[in-house]
Amino acid sequence: MSDEIHEDELQALKHVETPAPSAAARRRALAAAMVAFDAEQQKSKTPAKGNGWAARLRSIVPQGNWIMDTRFTYGIGTAAVALLLLPLGYQLYTTTAVTPLSDLPALRPEAVRQAEPPAAPESGAEADFAVAAREESEAAPAPAAPMAAKQAGERLQRAAEAPVRAIPEAADGHDEMLAAESAAAGSADAVAVPVAAPAPQPMLAVPTEPTGDVFTRFDESPVQLVAEAPVSTFSVDVDTASYAYVRRSLHEGQLPAPEAVRIEELVNYFTYDYPQPTAAAVPFQPTMQVMPTPWNADTQLLQIGIKGYAPPVTEARPSNLVFLVDTSGSMDEPDKLPLLKRALGLLVGQLDADDTIAIVAYAGSAGVVLEPTAASDKTRILGALDNLWAGGSTAGAAGIELAYRLAAEQRVEGGINRVILATDGDFNVGIEDPEALESFIADKRDAGIFLSVLGFGQGNLGDDTMQALAQNGNGVAAYIDSFQEARKVLVEQVGGTLETIATDVKIQVEFNPAVVSEYRLVGYETRALNREDFNNDRVDAGDVGAGHTVTALYEIVPVGAAGGLIEPLRYETPAAALPTVGTTDEYGFLKLRYKLPGEEASRLIEAPITRDLAVESLAAAPADARWAAAVAAFGQKLKGSRYAGDLRWDEIRSLAQGARGADENGYRAEFIQLVDAAAALAPHR
Amino acid sequence: MLQNAEAPVLEEAPDAALVKRAAGGDRAAFAALCARHYDFIFRTAWKWSGRRSDAEDVAQEVCIKLAGAVAGFDGRAAFRSWLYRVTLNAVRDQQRAEGRRGRGTERLAEVQPAIAPPEQEDATTGQELWAAVRRLPGQQRDAVLLVYAEDLSHAEAGEVMGCKEATVSWHIHAAKKTLRGLL
Repeated sequence: MSDEIHEDELQALKHVETPAPSAAARRRALAAAMVAFDAEQQKSKTPAKGNGWAARLRSIVPQGNWIMDTRFTYGIGTAAVALLLLPLGYQLYTTTAVTPLSDLPALRPEAVRQAEPPAAPESGAEADFAVAAREESEAAPAPAAPMAAKQAGERLQRAAEAPVRAIPEAADGHDEMLAAESAAAGSADAVAVPVAAPAPQPMLAVPTEPTGDVFTRFDESPVQLVAEAPVSTFSVDVDTASYAYVRRSLHEGQLPAPEAVRIEELVNYFTYDYPQPTAAAVPFQPTMQVMPTPWNADTQLLQIGIKGYAPPVTEARPSNLVFLVDTSGSMDEPDKLPLLKRALGLLVGQLDADDTIAIVAYAGSAGVVLEPTAASDKTRILGALDNLWAGGSTAGAAGIELAYRLAAEQRVEGGINRVILATDGDFNVGIEDPEALESFIADKRDAGIFLSVLGFGQGNLGDDTMQALAQNGNGVAAYIDSFQEARKVLVEQVGGTLETIATDVKIQVEFNPAVVSEYRLVGYETRALNREDFNNDRVDAGDVGAGHTVTALYEIVPVGAAGGLIEPLRYETPAAALPTVGTTDEYGFLKLRYKLPGEEASRLIEAPITRDLAVESLAAAPADARWAAAVAAFGQKLKGSRYAGDLRWDEIRSLAQGARGADENGYRAEFIQLVDAAAALAPHR
Repeated sequence: MLQNAEAPVLEEAPDAALVKRAAGGDRAAFAALCARHYDFIFRTAWKWSGRRSDAEDVAQEVCIKLAGAVAGFDGRAAFRSWLYRVTLNAVRDQQRAEGRRGRGTERLAEVQPAIAPPEQEDATTGQELWAAVRRLPGQQRDAVLLVYAEDLSHAEAGEVMGCKEATVSWHIHAAKKTLRGLL
């Protein structure tokens, strides 16, 4: 077979029937063109005439800023101009990364579509188009509206609606404020939007944009009465995907959907300086702290931290890694395949000579891209990475089976055997039924080959699937949104990403009814376990990698405190009046179960949560505990939790600021910026 | 009613004349120009993007751009070639913006009933080929579609793409290889 497609096959392209354009779209476009033409003529009558846009056009790529040149200069009052300017200004200064100018053309059709010639049409030609357009817009408010719903355009439109409706008020004094705000967005005459008709559409809440990303919905863990349910059980979670996702949303000027905010993943994104266990045989040492709750003066916060054992470098085990890389067309974006290549390049640099790497591509250019290769042969590995090419249909090859087969062939006894799936959410890896896929991965896990998932990009991310697969594969799910994040996951914490030191780690806390009347686990909603699951070694739970830290927070209500959320029962003896059984020196009792890798039976670590762990004031608590509390407060406020209290953004910020510590990698400083971004996006939340 | 009287004349006037008059501020001439070429722009955009909604957006975008650009059209290239160029650039801009915004938008679009039924030609056997061609890198795609779908010569395609005839041939050669891998 030739390596080229045949000439005749291409000739087939000639015989295509294009659909006829819809009459409505045609009318709209022509009307919009006339509006633009009139604006152009108006402008060219002014002395500062310029064909700036046309000049740029000859340079092939039209630039976004042409919008400035087709400015509308009808007799719009200053206030009205300010009103029209505001939305774009709002957009520009609430996004931390200023929207590139070249995004603007995308806004354009939206704006123009809304535009109707403000003055009575002057000529026959325009009248035809304009009237047609008006009829169209009345008959069907958004007919064949931009299917590729231009999010930016819509955001602009929504933002526009609020101020436009405020016109009556603007007349008496608000115009100054609005003008000031638009000035804040930059030079006031740099941006102009055609007259936006105040369409009587329902006002939409500004922020949370519908994205294509899929998250598992969950309800917040409710408050529990110790008298009724004294035992709380959950699986640890060292995933951090939610944090990276939240960060990206905020950087783009959007509030993430509430279900995208998993508080435990935000808290666990950060490394805490808990005491290091000394031996692999007892890989955890719990650290506990009780302090006042920042968002509720009447309750206390119990922090439970564990740090996983990090084997010294001399104990490093040989790794057998197989990358299963999504090369579907959707990966062909700068923050996907190119970022993935650089990320894997980083990882290759971390490996020893006796480690092996293989690469399997699925979707598009499916197949083995790199046979298992010693990590010392970096040239070959990097060459293979370079040749990964996104494109092609998502028709599933048996990618995952291929990857596992390579991993099994190359299997290292006592070493790290892991498949690393890198995708933007296309899990079409060859097994279509999600449950079959999960059980396939679980079977392989039992055979000693684990799976980690790296998520890339936004808009298509199957977060729920990512989590489920990683959990079944005894691995982490990390969301890589930047090169820095790639460094964190694949260099700084590569041990945790690749080497599991304990599996099925479960935590159970039994509260002492003599001391605690109510409790609430902050986050971990998707990780809740039944009480009886704790001792059942067949129930799967989270895994902890080398050096990982896991932090959990409970908000607890001391007996007799005013902050109780649950009304005492009329016919029940108040807890305080009950004869005290046992000690009042303990808040409760912590139990932690884990399995060493490869072992079937779990091991148990126990520790009482004693009164002397408590501090009187937040200031007296260790910085790490305050930091965890600040992150939790941020997460709760961001998702609009009903337990968030009335803590303000600036209070969260200063709590975090005071607990930053050394912050060598700058992650905590970055978090503080996120608090600022969220405060700007949701000032009244 | 001066314009109505002129209308039939405008419809028959050659592109060059309409462009000249539109550049001079004649709105009736500009309207006629847009009306005449809208379908061409739409069809081109559709071939490049494969989605009706995208093609409609691009076509509107191009019409709006023409309002400002028509005065800058220098007449050295054929109006058609120039229009191809403006349209192809608009398609590329749109797809770039789409990429930046993530594919969430695409998902939204896919649930819209208006485009749920397969487009006519999707039923034909050429579907895979079209899908593959649309996924080619930008210049390869432009070259292949201009030469094979639009039936331009390599020289004409070069005029549209702003490159030499030999470069077009080279892009097509590269595209054939890429397509072999894709299909």
